[in-house]
Amino acid sequence: MEDGFEEIPHTADVAIRAWGRDLLDLFANAARGMAWLMADPDTVQTTVEKTIELTAYDAETLLVTWLGELLYLRERDGAVFTTFELEDVTNTHLRGSARGGPAKVLRRAIKAVTFSEMDIRPTEDGLETVIVFDV
Amino acid sequence: MGGLRAASPPANPPLPLFRGEVRSLRSGVEQLRVGFDEGNGMVEKKDFREVERFVWELSPETRPDMRVPARLFADDELLETAFQDRTVEQLVNTATLPGVVRYALAMPDFHQGYGFPIGGVAAMDARSGVISPGGVGYDINCGVRLLGTYLEQEEVSPRLQELTAVLYQTCPSGVGGSGRVRAAGKDLDQLVTQGAQWALKRGLARAEDLARTEEGGCMPGAEPGAVSARAKERGRTQVGSLGAGNHFLEIDVVETIYRPDAAEAFGLRQNQVVVQIHCGSRGYGHQICDDYVKSLQGAVHKYGLKLPDRELVCAPLDSPEGRAYYGAMACAVNYAFVNRQVLAMGVREAFEQVLAGKVANFDLFQIYDVAHNIAKFEEHEVNGRRMRLCVHRKGATRAFGPGLPEVPQDYRSIGQPVLVPGSMGTASYVLAGTERAMELTFGSTCHGAGRVMSRAQALKKIWGADLRRELEERGIVIQAGSDKGLAEEAPAAYKDVSRVVEVVHGVGLAHKVARLRPLAVIKG
Repeated sequence: MEDGFEEIPHTADVAIRAWGRDLLDLFANAARGMAWLMADPDTVQTTVEKTIELTAYDAETLLVTWLGELLYLRERDGAVFTTFELEDVTNTHLRGSARGGPAKVLRRAIKAVTFSEMDIRPTEDGLETVIVFDV
Repeated sequence: MGGLRAASPPANPPLPLFRGEVRSLRSGVEQLRVGFDEGNGMVEKKDFREVERFVWELSPETRPDMRVPARLFADDELLETAFQDRTVEQLVNTATLPGVVRYALAMPDFHQGYGFPIGGVAAMDARSGVISPGGVGYDINCGVRLLGTYLEQEEVSPRLQELTAVLYQTCPSGVGGSGRVRAAGKDLDQLVTQGAQWALKRGLARAEDLARTEEGGCMPGAEPGAVSARAKERGRTQVGSLGAGNHFLEIDVVETIYRPDAAEAFGLRQNQVVVQIHCGSRGYGHQICDDYVKSLQGAVHKYGLKLPDRELVCAPLDSPEGRAYYGAMACAVNYAFVNRQVLAMGVREAFEQVLAGKVANFDLFQIYDVAHNIAKFEEHEVNGRRMRLCVHRKGATRAFGPGLPEVPQDYRSIGQPVLVPGSMGTASYVLAGTERAMELTFGSTCHGAGRVMSRAQALKKIWGADLRRELEERGIVIQAGSDKGLAEEAPAAYKDVSRVVEVVHGVGLAHKVARLRPLAVIKG
């Protein structure tokens, strides 16, 4: 359970289940899960750091917006983000930074983050959700 | 050769469909999950009534929030696959949308998507209904273009390797990959407003290409002001590029003709070489879908809509939010028409480069270009009266029958061409639209094979290198970005396209015209 995410089968797309103690932990783990789907994180050379601040309608929309932001930066700058320092995550607002860079071993391209099956729900240890990616 | 045939479907246990709870999210967006049979909330095959051969109906009594019945088109074996993922649940969800008329439909290539199932068709009353980005999909106007040649297989075969290599250059692929044309600022806004006309003005199209494109290559109502700066930025460099995933370019040979009169009208003949281009609106369309799935979450609350799945996010057609999405979606539709148009010119260039002076005529003519992911205003007959509807087709093809003004003049006596690509390395079909489709499915039919295995499962079971060798042993030339990409799109991960086509042909949702066999595949 220490990874904070696992890949789960999905007919057409790829999906992960991510969990964390709180929203902050969940958002960081979800982002690490997405990076893991895209590339072997051990082969990412950290060259860039981005400060990110986002607002959204609610927690699920914020999670989709956060991962979507990282995907956009991936496409624009060619960087896979693997390390996250989130300072503040509420249901509607996120502030933090992401570090990453080019990856030597790429796994797959992700085109979009979907709301499909997304439902941030409480568990005994904190929070969890499924995230389905369009590939 | 075992790996190339459709694998038996994965033996997953039936999934519980409805969890029997009603709750509110923190945000106030109400999410409704209603069980029709508390504790055993599963729809099974026995819940479907066989209306006629291959037509299965689920009563609107199945779940309290359904407004109309749900219909699924399948033979017995395909029907079984509907219970192995969330297809049925998603189809039922679609039947709950405000303004949905007659029934929610799933074509036989159905599989789980997000929001609507793939293969899903639903028509909403233009006055009282909603429009949903989840009913169109991320790759807005993902579609297929078919080009015909004047060449026989024997004329192309000796130069197939070279032709494939040149096509890989003239038709760029890969996620985020740049295309042949750049268009930014006002130029891009003109491109998405004018569609294929924009390409025609720049010498990137021929007038006859436009006449043989759905909507003439230009969907009315495009509103670039409704498109985000980010979408415009992503779209700037990608016109004339294939992208990745299931998108491809394929050189095929016409293997079988089923209907000689229709084949002749479409310009198809036995042993003829043809080219298929399968791609969509690239990052531009994806960003538009992404933007509106997020921004319409607030509209759901504003208009008091109750949705069983957040990916079904929608807004009334007659609302500022609904009109904005339609205007932005139309931009992406036109972007995709231009994208496939520019790629078609890339194909013409490659054929000229390799075959000029070696064959009598290296030119390619357009047979047709169809959209697979789109929402369109159309008039259809509902309970004996004409109604203006917004028809959502998500992984489904328009299949208008003979005599309609939307069908190109050359094909009007036959019905529109319907292009159904099979999975990589298997057959593809050219069909013709029918009157029966107008009666039963708002003029819609299937769009492809439909997945039965996830990409992750495919990667576990199939080695890309093995697949490449198998395809090559069958004489198919492969030019792909990666073996992994090949494995994810392996034929065994899909339903048998022939089976899907037999169902739509059997019901009469389209007639078989010709079957194509691949000679070379190019993918990102």
